[in-house]
Amino acid sequence: MNAAVLVQLLVSGLAMGFIYALVGIEYTLVWNSTGLLNFSHDKLIMLGAYLFGGTFVLGMGFSNPLAIVLAFVIMGLIGVLIANGIFNPLRTMQSMIFAVMGTMILGRIIKEACRLIWGPAPFAISGWLSGNIRIGKISISNANIIICLVSLLVVIGLQLFLNFTKTGKAMRCVAQNKKAAALMGINVTQNICITTAVSAIICSIIGILIIPLFNVSTTMSNSIGLKGFSAGVIGGFGYLPGAIIGGIIIGIVENLAVMVLPAVYKDVVSFVLLILFLLVKPTGLLGKRA
Amino acid sequence: MTKKMKIRIAEIIILLIALLVVPLFVKNNYYLLVFNRILINAIVVLGLNFITGLTGQMNLGMAGIFALGAYASALITRYANISPWVGLLLAIAVGWVIGQCLGYPSLRVKGVYLSLTTIGFAEVIRLMFSNLTDITGGTQGMRNIEPYSLFGFKFDTQGKMYYLFFVITAFGFFIAWRIVYSKWGRVFKSLRDNAEAVEMSGVDIADVKIKAFTICAIYGAVAGALYAHFMGYINPSTFTIDMSTNFVIMLLIGGLGSVIGNIFGAIIVTILPEMLRFLDDYYLITFSIIVLLGAIFFPNGWVDAVVRLGKKTINIISDKRAENGKAVSR
Repeated sequence: MNAAVLVQLLVSGLAMGFIYALVGIEYTLVWNSTGLLNFSHDKLIMLGAYLFGGTFVLGMGFSNPLAIVLAFVIMGLIGVLIANGIFNPLRTMQSMIFAVMGTMILGRIIKEACRLIWGPAPFAISGWLSGNIRIGKISISNANIIICLVSLLVVIGLQLFLNFTKTGKAMRCVAQNKKAAALMGINVTQNICITTAVSAIICSIIGILIIPLFNVSTTMSNSIGLKGFSAGVIGGFGYLPGAIIGGIIIGIVENLAVMVLPAVYKDVVSFVLLILFLLVKPTGLLGKRA
Repeated sequence: MTKKMKIRIAEIIILLIALLVVPLFVKNNYYLLVFNRILINAIVVLGLNFITGLTGQMNLGMAGIFALGAYASALITRYANISPWVGLLLAIAVGWVIGQCLGYPSLRVKGVYLSLTTIGFAEVIRLMFSNLTDITGGTQGMRNIEPYSLFGFKFDTQGKMYYLFFVITAFGFFIAWRIVYSKWGRVFKSLRDNAEAVEMSGVDIADVKIKAFTICAIYGAVAGALYAHFMGYINPSTFTIDMSTNFVIMLLIGGLGSVIGNIFGAIIVTILPEMLRFLDDYYLITFSIIVLLGAIFFPNGWVDAVVRLGKKTINIISDKRAENGKAVSR
């Protein structure tokens, strides 16, 4: 095992880590704002990739930036629909199982719809985030670098949005205390719509970013969705910086684990980490509350 | 014995007899296969009811437990060359171990951790069984799993298996019924309604939750073992998250916490997709949309919705009769 391979594994691990971090952020936003888990998030990631690749780039022949913007707009609208159709009516039910099952069934519907609309065969988008950069012996794919950069931008942008805009501050208020937020004149229902829309847009960013890694298929995001949950638990459930740290840890650890374990068990690593953290430190690395 | 109880017992006996003579009239093997699947699904849902229906903790990895039960029983029957009944006992043991080992880390702390660990667990189990090619046959699956036999009598046709599964499901139903209306069942329910108050009353809530989850895992593993010997062929690609979702949908449609509702949920969710088969490619999406609308508009389950509708119509009819000056009997 030479140094060049190690560096390559680290870089691709870091890129995957950023993807998990984005997944962690995306569902933590919804969790904080509604107290519910969005189990359709992996299907939303897939839907974002299909909208971008299948409809706008390959189907209509738009340029990439235009396709990205259109995908964002549609995903944002879908987010509002989910909030109004599932989260808002079902979040006040006595048990969260109703809303959670609603999102799970929605995920199924999205998956079936994608299969019916775009066909069951996976496809690639040629020329999207392709190519490599060589530094000495080390070869790094452009996709990994762009994933890291875009993820950093999203993280920074989101922090600015949450800390310096009125809507962002309102989102944090709703996350902390819905009753008090409502008394302060924040429209909680509308705020949940906005949060879900932001979360859906982040989903589509993830979907578009992982096209070069997994191609566009109905199963492209299955494992990512689950590992995003592990990332949240490892970093501290319901805490945004925790989700980022947890995601990066999982990405790097599972990529380095390939050196000792057979490659097929790569997906097991995040689950083992999840159980270990629950046993040893259930609050996660950065979690505050017990 | 009161008159009401007598009527109740008579009803149950008539129902049992009706269900027992089904294979005499239904000769179509496909229908019997669907009936058998309903019985197996019903066992899983009866178990799931304890943790998700009563204590309100989401278990989204029932497929993993089911798969582990199925493979444990199939593997021991194949390699140790012993009766599938031992496999059934092993499945019970496996269920207990899963319940303790997965329940302890995820239920000791408050929160939604059980749904995350069970979902991850199911994925890991599926991956293991598809990759341990030497033992489980990998994605090719295991073929020719021996059916159950009792004193030389082989349960090898769908009709014969129907009786066997019917007896086992009835037994499982009886136990579930007794547990739900026992002290344990009441603690489970109170946990869902107000965990803090239960804790204040001196109940170790983590222990209670783990108990509920263990019962659930045992039911799931037993149903898995039955499934393996019923199908005669198991393949890891069956035990996906879709399967786990299906089990929770059954629970939801039947109504959370209702033991009879569980059975109805299993019946509806097993039969409805089969009835929608004529839609061809669109049957799964139609089924999902129906279920989603049901979950939004009848969150207490379809059974409850039908019962309420029935009561409402009876009330309206009797009101009308009262207006017309006739006797009211409610």
